[in-house]
Amino acid sequence: MTATTAGRAPTMRLYVLVWIGLILIVGIEVFLTYERLAAGTLLACLLALALVEAALAVMYFMHLKYERPALFWSLIPYLIFALLMMDHFWPDALRLMRQRLPGG
Amino acid sequence: MGHSAMSVGAPHGFPVEESPYGIKSKKLAMWLFIIADASTFGAILFAYGFLRLANPDWTRPFAFSPTIVNGIVMTVVLLTSSLTMVAAVAAAHARRQATALRWLGATMFLGLLFAALHLKEWFAMFGEGWRLFRNPLGGSPLFGATFFGVTGLHLLHVICGVIVIGAIAAGFRRGRFDADHVETTSLYWHFVDLVWMFVFPLVYLMNVR
Repeated sequence: MTATTAGRAPTMRLYVLVWIGLILIVGIEVFLTYERLAAGTLLACLLALALVEAALAVMYFMHLKYERPALFWSLIPYLIFALLMMDHFWPDALRLMRQRLPGG
Repeated sequence: MGHSAMSVGAPHGFPVEESPYGIKSKKLAMWLFIIADASTFGAILFAYGFLRLANPDWTRPFAFSPTIVNGIVMTVVLLTSSLTMVAAVAAAHARRQATALRWLGATMFLGLLFAALHLKEWFAMFGEGWRLFRNPLGGSPLFGATFFGVTGLHLLHVICGVIVIGAIAAGFRRGRFDADHVETTSLYWHFVDLVWMFVFPLVYLMNVR
């Protein structure tokens, strides 16, 4: 198993703990949704929790934590860069929103 | 390249350079596919975010019951399928073929259950008049386009995953595929699970009434 070549094999107990953690995060997301938070605050909270979930899944279920660091540094920064480069159009979305709001 | 970094394993005795990542090429290929697919889902979710923000009259149609409850059940089902998948990989590497096949079967069952719950929800929405470009509540018709587009692309990935797991399980049973094939397939399945971790909060929870 390539994921365990470093001699740090993840155990089923660890997998179950990660699974429980992911379920708890989903519960927190649903709880926050019904807490009547402002849309921006709710979006920030949900995105932060989703990123924690994604990190847990990638590092443990997908074994990236147990691979050589070179794999992580070759893949993840590229993905983050690609996603950041998609952020250019938010000002236009905000402009359209203000145009369409009454009195905007 | 130093001689220590080369090994002779290829047909005809040609020297083969060791992978800089210490993983087999099929696993590296799967990681590259996942990064490309993550960019695709990232782009489609960003497009959804753009349309939602640019339309102040965006429809928020989802009630706690049945839609959000159904979404919670779907999420738990998909998360559990990731757990059964890692159990299958662990059993495959431990050379416990029957156990690995049982866990792969459980993963396929959970994947199909997720798809069935998803389609049930879709058909309920069709019954209420929702279509790809029709909003029965009178808001932006783009809600249907983005909702069915994002969830449809994810559902397609789930269905493809179930088919691939079935093919890998059949080959693993016959000895054609080994534990590394099961592990490589598991990467894809966990990625499908990972995408849902963003779809559920952004497309469902941000659209509750």
